Amino acid sequence: MKKRLEVLLLPLLVVFLFVSVWHIAVKVSGSEIFPTPVEAIAGIAELFRYGVLFKYIVASLFRVSIGFLLALIIGIPAGLLIGWFSRAFYAFNPIIQVLRPISPIAWIPVAILWFGLSDLAPIFLIFLSSLFPILTATMAAVQNIQLVYLRAASNFGVRGLALFKKIILPATMPQIITGVRLALGVAWLVVVAAEMIAVNSGLGYLIIDARNAGKRYDLVVAGMILIGAIGLCLDLLIRRLQRLDEVRWGFQSMMQ
Amino acid sequence: MTTASIKIHLRDLGMTFDGKGNGTSIRVFERITLEAREGEFVCIVGPSGCGKTTLLNIIAGFVKATEGDVLIDGSPVHGPDRRRVFIFQECGIFPWLTVEQNIGFGIMDRSRREQKEHIDHYITMVGLTGFGNAYPSELSGGMRQRVEIARALVSNPDVLYMDEPFGALDYFTRLRMRAELISIWEREKKTILFVTHDVEEAVQLADRVVVMSRRPATIRTVIDVRLPRPRDLDSLHYIEVRNKIFEAMGLDHSGLGVHEKSPAPL
Amino acid sequence: MSKQLKIFLTVIGVVAVIGILHFWLNVGFNKSGISNSGNVAEEATFRVGFLPVTCHLTCPVTDWINTNMVGHGFYEPVRFSGWPELKEAFLSGNLPATFMLAPMAMALRQQGVPVKIVYLGHRDGTALMVHKDSKIYTFKDLRGKKIAVPNRFSNQRLIIYRGLRENEMTINDVTLLEMPPPDMPAALYSKSVDAIISGEPFMGQTEMDGYGRVLYQAKQLWPNFISCVLVVHEGVIKEHPQWVQQLVDGIAKSGKWLDAGMEHRMEASEAVATKYYHQDPRLLRFVLSKPPDRVTYSNLALAKNDFEKIADIAMEAGVLSGPISFDEYADTTFSSKTHDTQPYSWSPTQ
Ligand SMILES: Nc1ncnc2c1ncn2[C@@H]1O[C@H](COP(=O)(O)OP(=O)(O)OP(=O)(O)O)[C@@H](O)[C@H]1O
Ligand SMILES: [Mg+2]
Repeated sequence: MKKRLEVLLLPLLVVFLFVSVWHIAVKVSGSEIFPTPVEAIAGIAELFRYGVLFKYIVASLFRVSIGFLLALIIGIPAGLLIGWFSRAFYAFNPIIQVLRPISPIAWIPVAILWFGLSDLAPIFLIFLSSLFPILTATMAAVQNIQLVYLRAASNFGVRGLALFKKIILPATMPQIITGVRLALGVAWLVVVAAEMIAVNSGLGYLIIDARNAGKRYDLVVAGMILIGAIGLCLDLLIRRLQRLDEVRWGFQSMMQ
Repeated sequence: MTTASIKIHLRDLGMTFDGKGNGTSIRVFERITLEAREGEFVCIVGPSGCGKTTLLNIIAGFVKATEGDVLIDGSPVHGPDRRRVFIFQECGIFPWLTVEQNIGFGIMDRSRREQKEHIDHYITMVGLTGFGNAYPSELSGGMRQRVEIARALVSNPDVLYMDEPFGALDYFTRLRMRAELISIWEREKKTILFVTHDVEEAVQLADRVVVMSRRPATIRTVIDVRLPRPRDLDSLHYIEVRNKIFEAMGLDHSGLGVHEKSPAPL
Repeated sequence: MSKQLKIFLTVIGVVAVIGILHFWLNVGFNKSGISNSGNVAEEATFRVGFLPVTCHLTCPVTDWINTNMVGHGFYEPVRFSGWPELKEAFLSGNLPATFMLAPMAMALRQQGVPVKIVYLGHRDGTALMVHKDSKIYTFKDLRGKKIAVPNRFSNQRLIIYRGLRENEMTINDVTLLEMPPPDMPAALYSKSVDAIISGEPFMGQTEMDGYGRVLYQAKQLWPNFISCVLVVHEGVIKEHPQWVQQLVDGIAKSGKWLDAGMEHRMEASEAVATKYYHQDPRLLRFVLSKPPDRVTYSNLALAKNDFEKIADIAMEAGVLSGPISFDEYADTTFSSKTHDTQPYSWSPTQ
């Protein structure tokens, strides 16, 4: 019980300190451009009043979830195959390693040229940025499967598709989930950049729109707060996956 | 017992691992010739790194020997087979499956009902009643080892390959597991190849003990243990056999304690 | 098994709900919905790109007036946040027409992009700003200073070249920094640059907020200054000349309408700021009125010598790799029919 209270109170205390320092810093510097925390919160309230708060959140969530889902659907099977078949690994790993470190921001022109002015362009950017963490985590997970599991499986005559389903996928699941968690973080991170492309909704758009709007840095900061808060919620959600019985073994030391 | 047919026949096995790129290859063992009869309990002892696991992997068909061949029931082994189940030195049960699912892993092609019967039977046999839905991470080391033994037994194999299955357990659990293994073996009469570097364990369990030398290993000697079961650890005969094995190994160890788990000095 | 199924269904369900909400709230929200890339179909809504700057003001104003007069505009104005995205959208073929920096259009043409300038967007509407505390009072005082320009292809950069030339200075006497105009006020406020130059309302914003001072209005350095022009894809001219004419006429009419009276400008400020630019209306009201000729929208027909002046400096600044003829990048067919065009006969107060 005491532990729980601490887990709740300590972070709140740090947030409170952070916000106070922010407030004092703005007041002391006398900045007319940078908003105080109160102004930023008022900015959120204003977005709510104009009815765009919910819309923007939905728009960003939509782009992130579609792009991210595509990355999952392609990244996990591809990662399993590339990790398992050494020929596929030799063939694809170099290009993956070349593409992986390219910032999604560098892909913006490509996204516009290919997908034009639709939701597809930001979805593509989010897909790309979440694909690589998933792909590389899955590949590495397959290559790190303990030999005992594979030998035990072959001992019982498990091979082919059943081997993927019964051994390779569950054995790699904890590492895949770690990759997926990382990827969701990146996907949410990239939403601001992705919504710089001519879309007219979303939290990333909100920030860019507010920059265009003259002295509305309160809305910029409001957007930042919203992105951070939703990112936290997404991470808390995906963390619950780590508690599933089938994968808990992979996180044992981390949870104790 | 001598009339039983030959189950496993190793003919002049030799194994060399190619050094990975650096050109140093490891000659693990050579000229290994051995026969194990149907239903026999054979222990293989030897210093750490002498190639016991490698030998067992070759017999089980996981690894190919560089020389010689393995015959089982007269025909050569080409790969693993579900009639001969391996119990691993590092625990080989699947952590993502429950105890029941693990035990049932080898008989998934059978009917639901049959599966359930078998699983229940073996869960009781290895004393894990009530833990059917537990995950391996919730079990103690000894319990996990018992799950693996149950998983091996459930598909009713002829042969069990056991690679230091009790190595990671504490002393008392180890003693109990040995007793349980013997009672299972006496009931089911499997052929068992059991690797250990614990001489006491070998004497306690085996019909015959194969003593291997250091790398490049050969079979130093094979010692018959003609002791009635359950074995009395204090009987003179027991100590005599044990000392014989020590002696056989001691040639390599110049009096160092052989059942210590530290790697042999090279 | 059923647990995996449950997770799977939950994920699919959540995504479906988000998708439905998104299409309901955001996509259904713009009148044209999602239209795919590619060719401009006969009945499809043409898109016209713009940035929330006064140089592009006629784009939203034409749409706004048409929406009010006949219930709908004849194109879909698409707002961008920066030059690179706008240029790329045009290159991708998703944008048949857009407002664009004049030198950028000329340079794209020289690089083989089928772009034609068909009309001007505005005259003037650019200011060179310094911090009110700074000691910079003449162009010569800029020696050794940092100046933020919107884009290397912007006429705002060329105007600096022109000023340097007239003051017998060279480009080595100043440091030019490319910066998105929306970021310029903050840069000037924090004094991270000494001067900023871009289209309005970002310059007026610094003046309105009390830390910026106009060093020069564009016309003082370059009379009849043009920053942005209306460009269309060559293919659109071939296939839909009547639409291009309609567009040019609309821009001409709303331009003249904007210059026809201050009350028009005030009404337009309100509407454009809230509906199209998402800015504080005071900003547009300020830059459209103080002084009234800070930016003008009449006299937008294409004139060869305006562009030759631009081309001349553009070559010096390395924007153009060599001479390029006016006919190659400009198509005056539509512009020449606008001389008698009358302003929209509409008043918001009616
Ligand atoms: N895949 C491999 N590649 C190269 N060398 C190997 C490989 N597997 C084992 N070896 C080497 O072969 C030798 C025998 O290894 P093995 O695991 O069979 O020994 P062991 O007798 O089981 O030892 P322990 O009692 O410690 O389990 C060791 O020197 C080891 O380094
Ligand atoms: Mg071993």
